[in-house]
Amino acid sequence: MEALLEDYVSSEDLRRFERRYYDELGKGSVKPSTVFEYSWALIRSRFEHEVKKGIILLEQLCFEGEDEAKRDYLFYLSIANTKIGEYQRALDCTRKFLAAEPNNRQAQELEKIIKERLRRESLKGMAIVGGAAALVVGGLVGIGMALSKKH
Amino acid sequence: MIEEEEDILTILKILVIGESDVGKSSLLIRFTDDTFQEGMPATIGMDFKAKVVKVDNNNVKLAIWDTAGSERFRSLTPNFYRGAHGAILVYDVTKRETFDKLDTWLNELNAYQTRDVVKMLVGNKIDKENRLVSKEEGLRWAQKHKTLFIEASARTREGVKTAFEELVEKIIQTPGLWEATSKRANIRLDEKGETKSTWCQGWCA
Repeated sequence: MEALLEDYVSSEDLRRFERRYYDELGKGSVKPSTVFEYSWALIRSRFEHEVKKGIILLEQLCFEGEDEAKRDYLFYLSIANTKIGEYQRALDCTRKFLAAEPNNRQAQELEKIIKERLRRESLKGMAIVGGAAALVVGGLVGIGMALSKKH
Repeated sequence: MIEEEEDILTILKILVIGESDVGKSSLLIRFTDDTFQEGMPATIGMDFKAKVVKVDNNNVKLAIWDTAGSERFRSLTPNFYRGAHGAILVYDVTKRETFDKLDTWLNELNAYQTRDVVKMLVGNKIDKENRLVSKEEGLRWAQKHKTLFIEASARTREGVKTAFEELVEKIIQTPGLWEATSKRANIRLDEKGETKSTWCQGWCA
């Protein structure tokens, strides 16, 4: 599952799906499958702005797309949000997915990874807060010492 | 992963392809985790599993891409075919149409490949009683298309391990198909200024 999060689209593939999307858009209507293919390429980009564009398209598909493909949209929304560090949103997606398919191994594995990343993130946050507190205390002690030296 | 990178002779990229609901994921999960899930849900896009196997006393790491058989992913999954060393083509012995579609899968596979890929044909679900495709038919197809062949059941384990192992052995025995993942190779890559990380070899080509 980690490998899926580390998998990147080639620029030629991205351009190919993009061209198809804009061709159809120019003709007035885009097939849900074309939107999905394009958004799937976008969320595999190395660039956050492209991943975010893919997320917007997938969110639209959740409302307007094909019913039988809703699970695909949700799953990739979760993958995309995980990639850009939006872990809470990613978890919302896997929860919704697992509510419909509780035994889905792919979604279970993904959820595990997101929770692990969230945990690491919060540990890192605590370390930063802890570090900042230590700096403040250190600074105060320093000031105290400097003041006491003056006297 | 217990094994150190130096102990790995090579990393091989393996694909599992075939129609929907023939048991691609079930075969893979039986092979990697030795479990079986009743009513396995359809794979979304693709799934990935890694496993280290021993071939002639060498450790070989398999990077296995399990693809969705669903029509919805037909134009997306071939992107993952590139750089594969081996492919497992799966059909369901109780559904003739999954056997009839093998030619399409083979053509697709060949269309996206730049080099020879070792193929293994697997007739799955032989534990079921309502078989419609005989073993002889499977064998004939395999001979015609020069692929390896085995019948298997992900449910009962029968043939599963052999399917993967024989495929890997055949790849390893084919000179020029794979490259050793040695320390020297890594240094050479660095000297050439390649930015690709070493773990990526064969996994994401």
